[in-house]
Amino acid sequence: MTNIIPLTVRSHYSLMHGTASVQTICRAARQMGYDRLALTDTDNLYGLWPFLAACRREGLTPIVGAEISAPGTRRRGIGLVENAEGYRNLCRLLTRRHLAPDFRLETDLPPLAEGLTVLTADVDLLERWHAAGVRVVAAMPRRPLSAAHPLRVAAARRGVPVVATPDSFGVHSDDHSQHRLLRAIAHRTTRSRLDDTDTAPADAWLAPPQIYAQRFAPCPQALEATHAVAKRLTFTGPAFGIIMPPWADARGRSAHEALRAAAYRGAARRYGRELPEPVVERLEHELRIVAKMGFCAYFLIVRDIVRHSPRICGRGSGAASLIAYCLQITNVCPLKHNLYFERFLNPGRQDPPDIDVDFAWDERDGVQQAVLAQFSGHAAMVCNHVLFQPRLAVRETAKVYGLTEGEIARVTKRLPWYWRLESPATELLDAVQARPEARALDFPPPWPEILSRAQRLVGTPRHLAVHSGGVVITPEPIDTYVPVERAPKGVPVIQWEKDATEDAGLVKIDLLGNRSLAVIRDAVANLRANGEDFDEERWAPEDDFATQQTVGQGQTMGCFYIESPAMRLLQQKAGVGDFEHLVIHSSIIRPAANDFIQEYLRRLHGAPWDPIHPLLADVLNETFGIMVYQEDVSRAAVALAGFAHAEADRLRKVMSKKDREFDLQDFRTRFFAGARTRRIPADTIRAIWEMMMSFSGYSFCKPHSASYAQVSFQAAYLKVHHPAAFMAAVISNQGGFYSTFAYVSEARRLGLVIRPPDVNRSDERWHGGQAALRVGLMAVKGLSAATRRRLIAARRQAAFEDPADFFERVRPDADEGRALIHSGALDRLAPEANRAALMWSLACWQHRRAPAARQGRLFAPPPERRRPRFPHEDPLTRLRHEFAVLGFLCGRHPMTLYRTMLENGGALAAVELASCLGRRVRFGGWLVTGKVVHTKHGEPMEFLTFEDETGIVETTFFPAVYHRFCHMLDRGRPYLLSGRVEQDWGAVTLTVTQVSALPPLRSLARETAARADRPLRKKQPTARAFGPGTG
Amino acid sequence: MERAIIHLNIADFAVAVERNLDPRLRQRPLIIAPEGAARATVYDMSEEAYQAGVRKGMPLRRARRRCPDARLVPPHPPLYGQVMRALIRQAKPYSPLIEPGEADGHLFVDVTGTSRLFGPPVDVAWRLRRQAAADLDLTPIWAVGPNKLVAKVATRLVKPDGEYVVDAGEERAFLAPRPLVLVPGIEREDLIRLRDFNFSRAGQVAHLRREELQIPFGNRAGYLYDAVRGIDPSPVRALGARPPQIVRHHTFENDAHAPAALEGALYTLVEQAGRTLRNQRLAARRVSVRLGFSDGLVRVRQQGVRPATANDLVLFTRARTALYQAWHRRVRIRHLDLICDRLTYPPAQQALFPADRRARRRRTQLVAAMDAIRDRFGPAAIKVGRTLAA
Repeated sequence: MTNIIPLTVRSHYSLMHGTASVQTICRAARQMGYDRLALTDTDNLYGLWPFLAACRREGLTPIVGAEISAPGTRRRGIGLVENAEGYRNLCRLLTRRHLAPDFRLETDLPPLAEGLTVLTADVDLLERWHAAGVRVVAAMPRRPLSAAHPLRVAAARRGVPVVATPDSFGVHSDDHSQHRLLRAIAHRTTRSRLDDTDTAPADAWLAPPQIYAQRFAPCPQALEATHAVAKRLTFTGPAFGIIMPPWADARGRSAHEALRAAAYRGAARRYGRELPEPVVERLEHELRIVAKMGFCAYFLIVRDIVRHSPRICGRGSGAASLIAYCLQITNVCPLKHNLYFERFLNPGRQDPPDIDVDFAWDERDGVQQAVLAQFSGHAAMVCNHVLFQPRLAVRETAKVYGLTEGEIARVTKRLPWYWRLESPATELLDAVQARPEARALDFPPPWPEILSRAQRLVGTPRHLAVHSGGVVITPEPIDTYVPVERAPKGVPVIQWEKDATEDAGLVKIDLLGNRSLAVIRDAVANLRANGEDFDEERWAPEDDFATQQTVGQGQTMGCFYIESPAMRLLQQKAGVGDFEHLVIHSSIIRPAANDFIQEYLRRLHGAPWDPIHPLLADVLNETFGIMVYQEDVSRAAVALAGFAHAEADRLRKVMSKKDREFDLQDFRTRFFAGARTRRIPADTIRAIWEMMMSFSGYSFCKPHSASYAQVSFQAAYLKVHHPAAFMAAVISNQGGFYSTFAYVSEARRLGLVIRPPDVNRSDERWHGGQAALRVGLMAVKGLSAATRRRLIAARRQAAFEDPADFFERVRPDADEGRALIHSGALDRLAPEANRAALMWSLACWQHRRAPAARQGRLFAPPPERRRPRFPHEDPLTRLRHEFAVLGFLCGRHPMTLYRTMLENGGALAAVELASCLGRRVRFGGWLVTGKVVHTKHGEPMEFLTFEDETGIVETTFFPAVYHRFCHMLDRGRPYLLSGRVEQDWGAVTLTVTQVSALPPLRSLARETAARADRPLRKKQPTARAFGPGTG
Repeated sequence: MERAIIHLNIADFAVAVERNLDPRLRQRPLIIAPEGAARATVYDMSEEAYQAGVRKGMPLRRARRRCPDARLVPPHPPLYGQVMRALIRQAKPYSPLIEPGEADGHLFVDVTGTSRLFGPPVDVAWRLRRQAAADLDLTPIWAVGPNKLVAKVATRLVKPDGEYVVDAGEERAFLAPRPLVLVPGIEREDLIRLRDFNFSRAGQVAHLRREELQIPFGNRAGYLYDAVRGIDPSPVRALGARPPQIVRHHTFENDAHAPAALEGALYTLVEQAGRTLRNQRLAARRVSVRLGFSDGLVRVRQQGVRPATANDLVLFTRARTALYQAWHRRVRIRHLDLICDRLTYPPAQQALFPADRRARRRRTQLVAAMDAIRDRFGPAAIKVGRTLAA
């Protein structure tokens, strides 16, 4: 008996059809006794690299292929790759399938069929393709056809072989119900109303070979034919080597010559005409290595790309290269900051160099477009495979079960966005119920069923998205390496995500967006618009003493990368704000490195320490014997366990990958073995390995940290010396760590006045003036971009004279008009009137332009009616309206409205906490932001940031307290907290024991509110809650 | 002629009825909501529960968190309908113009011009209250006013207990100091717009002339203008003034989305409505299906029935068409209502072709046979297969 070779197998990369991952399929195939296997997903090669890896792991011989569908019909052909030529053709065919609007399977396939064996179950296609000279094979999916079936008749007539195929969508009979779930999600229907023609037959799963032998007993030759077909399929995956982007010089120089010339030209600009000796030495050294490794062209291409923008930030390990610095790809001098070139490139490594470049977030797309246009046909973006995360899986499954948005949100809003189950065996329902946030929920039917189904969905790819910045440029047309699709936003994307791209050897250049570069750009532009002179060429913010001091006090809200509460607390505790320490701090602050941070602070403040092992003394000397940078992992592996450089580097890379368990075990064994041979005690090895593991998932190399610290310092400098322009830029660019509300409070604490929006003065964006911020029109909720543009254009012609003039020329719709009035933007047009009067003007204008009023109007429109008498405006209502529209108050912090209430309750203000160290206090504050972390025992706890008009208070909710109160904590609301004031290395925090919610602003009763029309007793607005001086 | 409208308002009607049934419920806050259903919402609650923050339509779970010591009782709409009918019966001798709310303890009685017969309206109102107290053990709030609007504001004002009389000509003065939220017919949207102009009380709005109100409020101005002045010309509609229809409701215990469950429930409704039609010797010319989705969205679709019929099998095919027309979303379904209207006497005309005649006769006989069995052995004695799926 001959075993079948499965020639058509689909994985979950056949999006919303297939149910099993390639790993599952390969493992199941081996267990069932197969030794060869094809992966033929529909219209794609998404899973090619995971498939090749899984086959290697399971000891299977892979067959590469894909199913190609004819758009709008059920006709299919399956292309199986015989050789490299066939692979190129398959890529081009799949690209055509996705990009050509007039794609026709029957005519488009034959010209690209060289090197392919094509399977089809369609009689018409079989005959046409056979006639066109395609090597075609008739496929009998799942079950034998009778000898009189047209397909078999046609095959026999033309002498075409007939093969049996599994034509599978899963690997188990259970997978069918999962398949139906996917189809229902794709069709946006419920399972009970799903049409049978939309789903695969119930037996479309990969069965063991015995079952096919039984089924095909009447025609065993169909099983044997799979072997005959497979014999030709010798291709087991592409072997490209490293594929560099091409570079051609207009003057015909070699890349090496061009790079040398460019580097020296750049060096002269950076260091002056007379190059210092170390610079020349270093440049020569780098040029030698780069030339030896053949990366000259790569540097030149990246240089060409960064020329698109004057303000970029080269990051990643590339910042260790002096060449990159000279070519203006990076902005940190590697000599000044001790960045070793070997951390970027060394001859021992085989993998491609990796330079990432940040552009201002709003310029990035333009740069990408320009690159794609310049290398049209040879360039495309890397894609992301968007997988079902628990939240999306639960939501989509619940919809299939007919639950309403409200019911679904009740559960999903209690799930974190990206949440990986501890282990695949954990039941989702148990995991959800174990979360204290879900305590108030229960899960009546059909929730248990939904959650168990959703669990199987987690990790299934949902659709393709564009990777945020990765561009691949190839010397040959890109569709001969990989199939290309077009993303909804119009750019071409390759079918592989970044890991697969790397596995394939395609060099990707990351062009990323960075908001802070835009903040710095806008702040500088704001200064220049105010007539101030700002010389960027000689700008060295890291040497500015005032800036260092501010950074050392953690007063860096709004500053790139160092504004989060965790980072600001670390700065406060460290109490140092120079560049070298900031580089350490932005690297050490990793989720898994808490203990090391404590130890670092101890040593920084003078505690004695010994290197963890003498072999590591050199490696970790500059970081107090603590592993801080990503490359410390590989350097430790080399120094302690005798790893080769390339091997150590692979270990570093594996740690940052998602499904790393498999490879990591292997490295662990080798690390322990290697270290033992050097007679290192077992517990030291274990301690070092643990330290290394704290880098998993997320870590920085030193050059990267230095690049970022440079931007942080620029931001901090602007904040210290030009707070108005800086805060205006921070708020206008949005997307910072905090809400606009929090930034407005910070601006007020910096002593700035917040001037309300004004239709005659406000721009679209916020503007910083003399010690004042003008609110931009973008802050007015509900005001459309079109109306904003109309407003600015109308004002450019002439300032608005009165409300009627404004409405007539800007033509806002009713809600926009109301929002503008409530925001206070029209107040200055009618200084004597209140907002009810403005509402009246709006209503009159709308009334006049209403069609009914215009109809039959023979003469000029009637004048605006005399305004009736409206009741007096209640100041609290006015503030409520303003808050509803803007999300903050211009004139005061909303906590001031609660002050009377709080003082009666014995609560302190933020500035007063620092003088109550160790005491139990009450404090009323506005919840600004927070971060949930897990303790060593896996219990969740949260660090929350509150503020009032006098300062910021960082609080800690330990697990028991978090468990009790987490369900009532919402951002943007006031709370009354009780707890103990604590101090750690000079940073003051509040450890909370009790929380009660204060009434939200919209339901704050007039009687309890402090006088809304009058400012309260003045507390030092610029005073800080803490800082080294107040502890 | 001066009108005199009595508004009877039994505060927390369902609660009052339940407490009458079981006096032990009087000691504690009470929430009326279906138990056991997956996502029950509050049907009604007692004053104590209201004070604790419980509101109608609120998810039961939240309600229980706000008022943890409340007793929970499932609603009994037929019972409330029964009490309501008793209330109407008591009012009937005084006027033909009686307009009840939907089993909610609200009742308008127009007693205009009946003073000579029954005494002044205030006396009638007292009598109605005393009667309700004596016979039904309920104490309605009552108000007498010159129109429905004013009478309703008056009872809202004295809730939970009391009475109020507004004389003709006093409407405006009566309403002037009242918060605008009390005025029926002023919706949430209106209130937001009114607040834009700093209006919070009816009297403030009454300063504006009609043309002035028209500017910000457009079409709504007319209603607002009248309402804040206590002007309401709408008549008290007589009982039975609405065209006859037969309505049957089904509420799924757990919201449904399987076609079999829906069709089964629909068939049961068709059987009930058909039986009522046949008992009354009537036939329907139109069936409508009203679907209430889990999230509160309601959708109605109608199908004409020609010739008019009371036969379950025919009604069902039309109703099923309407069902699938209405069922356009994948959200589960909570309520399913069947409405048969355009009622007429069964057509005497025979079908034209013998085959049709035969089919029709067999359908009629089948339904008649089932009716006979049910008359004798109870409604559950025989069932159609598809209703078992529900």
